[in-house]
Amino acid sequence: MGKVIVVTSGKGGVGKTTSTANLGTALALLGKSVVLVDADVGLRNLDIVMGLESRVVYTSMDVIEKQCELNKALVRDRRVDGLMLLAASQKNNKDDMQPEQMKAICDKLRTTYDFTLVDSPAGIERGFRNASAGADEAIVVTTPDVSAIRDADRIIGLLQNVEIEPINLVINRFSPQLVGNGSMMDQADVLDILNIDLIGVVPEDSAVITSTNRGIPLVYEDGSPGAQAYMRIARRLTGQRIPIPDLEQKGLFSNILNWFTKKR
Amino acid sequence: MNLSIKQLFGRKPKSSNIAKQRLKLVITQDRVDVDDRFMTRLHHELAEVLAKYFEFSANSVKMNLKQEGNSYILVADFPYTKFHDMSMRR
Ligand SMILES: Nc1ncnc2c1ncn2[C@@H]1O[C@H](COP(=O)(O)OP(=O)(O)O)[C@@H](O)[C@H]1O
Ligand SMILES: [Mg+2]
Repeated sequence: MGKVIVVTSGKGGVGKTTSTANLGTALALLGKSVVLVDADVGLRNLDIVMGLESRVVYTSMDVIEKQCELNKALVRDRRVDGLMLLAASQKNNKDDMQPEQMKAICDKLRTTYDFTLVDSPAGIERGFRNASAGADEAIVVTTPDVSAIRDADRIIGLLQNVEIEPINLVINRFSPQLVGNGSMMDQADVLDILNIDLIGVVPEDSAVITSTNRGIPLVYEDGSPGAQAYMRIARRLTGQRIPIPDLEQKGLFSNILNWFTKKR
Repeated sequence: MNLSIKQLFGRKPKSSNIAKQRLKLVITQDRVDVDDRFMTRLHHELAEVLAKYFEFSANSVKMNLKQEGNSYILVADFPYTKFHDMSMRR
């Protein structure tokens, strides 16, 4: 039996789709069988971020409306073994789908695939409820800013209410320089507020944008800081215990001050 | 005053610290607002304790959280009709 993991956040634009695409690809590169499910009905993006948009024929709505079998609706990613995509319908809206219907799809996928990653739309309404309906676990993505963290806290509360566990946090678009000069909260600050387990920190990385432009997930070309961060998170998802490196970059002056002000 | 050497040498208060303080406060409020079950439970538990000493009708009780500066204050109104004199019971 595989795991169904919903990737969610509350706030839009924090990196849910980017994280789903890269973690899914990374898990497949590690030899796992993976399906990526786009639950953002009406605003589908996962197919284009994955570079699979030209190969989508059927969507989850066709499966729900019994226009096609689930297996036939899955698009196979030819670049790596064991990676599939179930696209969202672009012409429907979130109310056209019931949480139970999404759950039924996840329940089937769980029996065949090691990992089913569900890319959630922003918000706490129907779209989020559809996306989380079939989930065993959650990955909450946030950026280290006040509005994203506030919304993440709200989503964490909702996930806890429906007993989705564990809930793991990804801090995305982390900037070591901004943390170093005191204008961005560091990972300890974020964890102190949200109080859930951290599974990884993804730095701000311009390679994310170029890889999205090309439709080639970052993790195919290992080497960029973002790709390395996603590969490490994927390894943690498979149960490997690898430490989360400290990405903070401190200036010389700040290091000297830290040395003087260290708790003794 | 709680100034560290770090803050004395720093140019201005770090905006990351301000962000963290503001978030902590607003999230405390959000959690209570959202979690009706928490307020209901607190209400029941407080009423249970107070009922040992006072007589009051359950639907006259009001509870809410209000903000004052940098902290939150829990305000609970339990208008009572009678005080049980515990010494009389012995
Ligand atoms: N680590 C990162 N570094 C740089 N840009 C990023 C990073 N993560 C996401 N982005 C960019 O942020 C935007 C929103 O990301 P996306 O994954 O679509 O968010 P969501 O699905 O949460 O709405 C995209 O343009 C994406 O390329
Ligand atoms: Mg998205």
